[in-house]
Amino acid sequence: MPRDLSVEIASHRDLGGGNHLLEVEAAPLARETAPGQFFMIGFPGADTLLRRPFSVCGLPGTFDGSSRSAVHVLYKVVGRGTEHLASRKPGSPLSILGPLGRGFDLELGAGTEALLVAGGIGSAPFPALAAALGARGIRCTLLYGARSASDLPLLDWFRARAPEVIVTTEDGSAGTRGLVTDPLRERLARGGNVRILACGPNPMLREVAAIAREASVPCEVSLEARMACGFGVCLGCVVPTRRGEGGETAYERVCVEGPVMPAEKLAW
Amino acid sequence: MVTPDLSVRLGSLRLRNPVLTASGTFGYGLEFLPFLSLEEIGGIVVKGLSPKPRKGNPPERIVETPSGMLNAIGLQNVGVDAFLAEKLPELRRHDTAVVANVFGETIPEYVEVCAKLDAAEGIAAIELNVSCPNVEAGGMAFGADAASLARVTRACRDATRLPLWVKLSPNVTDIRETARAAEAEGADAVSLVNTYVGMVVDVERRRPVLANGCGGLSGPAIRPLAVWATWQVSRAVAIPVVGMGGIASGRDAVEFLLAGASAVQVGTASFVHPDASVRIAREIGSWLAGHGLASVREIVGTLRTGKEERR
Ligand SMILES: Cc1cc2nc3c(=O)[nH]c(=O)nc-3n(C[C@H](O)[C@H](O)[C@H](O)COP(=O)(O)OP(=O)(O)OC[C@H]3O[C@@H](n4cnc5c(N)ncnc54)[C@H](O)[C@@H]3O)c2cc1C
Ligand SMILES: Cc1cc2nc3c(=O)[nH]c(=O)nc-3n(C[C@H](O)[C@H](O)[C@H](O)COP(=O)(O)O)c2cc1C
Repeated sequence: MPRDLSVEIASHRDLGGGNHLLEVEAAPLARETAPGQFFMIGFPGADTLLRRPFSVCGLPGTFDGSSRSAVHVLYKVVGRGTEHLASRKPGSPLSILGPLGRGFDLELGAGTEALLVAGGIGSAPFPALAAALGARGIRCTLLYGARSASDLPLLDWFRARAPEVIVTTEDGSAGTRGLVTDPLRERLARGGNVRILACGPNPMLREVAAIAREASVPCEVSLEARMACGFGVCLGCVVPTRRGEGGETAYERVCVEGPVMPAEKLAW
Repeated sequence: MVTPDLSVRLGSLRLRNPVLTASGTFGYGLEFLPFLSLEEIGGIVVKGLSPKPRKGNPPERIVETPSGMLNAIGLQNVGVDAFLAEKLPELRRHDTAVVANVFGETIPEYVEVCAKLDAAEGIAAIELNVSCPNVEAGGMAFGADAASLARVTRACRDATRLPLWVKLSPNVTDIRETARAAEAEGADAVSLVNTYVGMVVDVERRRPVLANGCGGLSGPAIRPLAVWATWQVSRAVAIPVVGMGGIASGRDAVEFLLAGASAVQVGTASFVHPDASVRIAREIGSWLAGHGLASVREIVGTLRTGKEERR
């Protein structure tokens, strides 16, 4: 059950490239949040009206040295709200509503390998996810694509924690030059019992979903949409979905039926 | 200090306190149970109901604006039948007034929904959303002129004995005219304002941000406009007025009450703080107590403009 908490920033790290890792102490959220779920974060005193949605990035145990009530959010400065947030120092108050939405399916079944596909800041939900899958003995490979080397936040964390990390950048400043979908295609060509879990910009997700479909590999995507409330009442954050092959389309809420949705149900 | 009496009357309907939640911002009420007790507010106005379920507009549907937001949801809803079968029985387990917001694209559609609600148990009042485009009249909103508003009000009046509120659109030249038309055709109250039509442009794409083009502006940005509309209408009609538009605190609500509203609705604020309506009701109580007032009814319409003394 979601709750609305007043918290203080416990730590706040500038990771470069406009990316920041925010930590708050919120025991109920640390207990109840599942990888892929998100929070609506409000900045008291800011001149923005609505809260902003952010995925859970870290739960207790994800990052070394964090407490049993620690919750982490990884975000990129893209506009007024995130710019304001980046100026906040430890001790500064935030309101945080969560946990919200539907997270990733963690029941992958023995022997399934998880292919985590991230586009830039889309890696945000993956530390908590990789930690949870790792704890279940599921092998994770991270395919991490971005525009350039500075857009790969927490790459070192992933390298230390995931058995395999494949990096692509559009400008070739890190990893292989190209798009993250290139190594994804190669990996799928090798076959095996895999499942894709993807988060990133919509065009990337659409491409990943198409590749997964072609290879008949199950795929979940974590979506973004403008939202006002985050708990299902404003109906602002909908995406078109389809019930069954060739079925009727409907609009479903990213905040309740998502943000993680099976790719095959999206009508994009 | 005595606890002020917050109860208000809107015609035959008594509310525990003057704070209701605005249609389209509170779902069907049940979504808010993790955050508040419905017994602490005067009542709820549910998402607009149509005869059949509606899919709504394609995204983008919302965008934040300075101190507000623009929405073009397109009246997505489960339809009146599903509301009565699935949502209302749940809601009735809570002691709060349930106001059903109704819309249609034709007058028979409005009438159909009103008649179904009339036959149900547990509806405190019907609120007509007349900001919906009138398909028969070429897509102009029912609430855009007094004549078509009069027709839809009369037709619904004849279809129900429930208290009938007409929710006025502010997108008119003189809101007092539509308010008077509602009163003349038998409305028990008017509520105002619905959202103000606006547009946000994505300058890079040279397109409106919303897929629908325009949308409805809500939130603190519209509050002074809404207070003014409330003041004008409250002096133009004798039936009770329910005020809304950008209310985010008890003080904001008191502005509307002084300007002549007998009750208020809280909309966009519930998105930001799900328990906003409860907090606002408490803050009205504290404001009254702080001013030594025994009842919220004492302040309704007591705004002084200064002009009366000078006259
Ligand atoms: C479920 C979910 C999880 C998310 N998780 C993360 C995360 O972990 N890290 C991260 O950096 N970002 C995440 N985002 C995107 C993040 O919410 C936006 O970048 C942020 O809202 C931008 O706010 P702003 O005020 O800086 O930008 P502005 O452009 O000034 O914001 C204006 C409005 O648009 C909305 N908006 C702008 N961009 C987006 C976007 N991409 N998605 C949704 N709404 C947007 C804002 O919320 C705000 O209402 C997530 C979005 C969703 C829906
Ligand atoms: C997302 C959204 C959906 C709305 N849906 C409805 C609706 O279905 N019927 C209606 O009469 N008003 C609807 N409204 C208007 C509100 O009930 C209210 O009149 C308006 O938002 C002004 O109040 P506020 O500034 O407190 O939000 C909606 C408003 C918003 C923001």
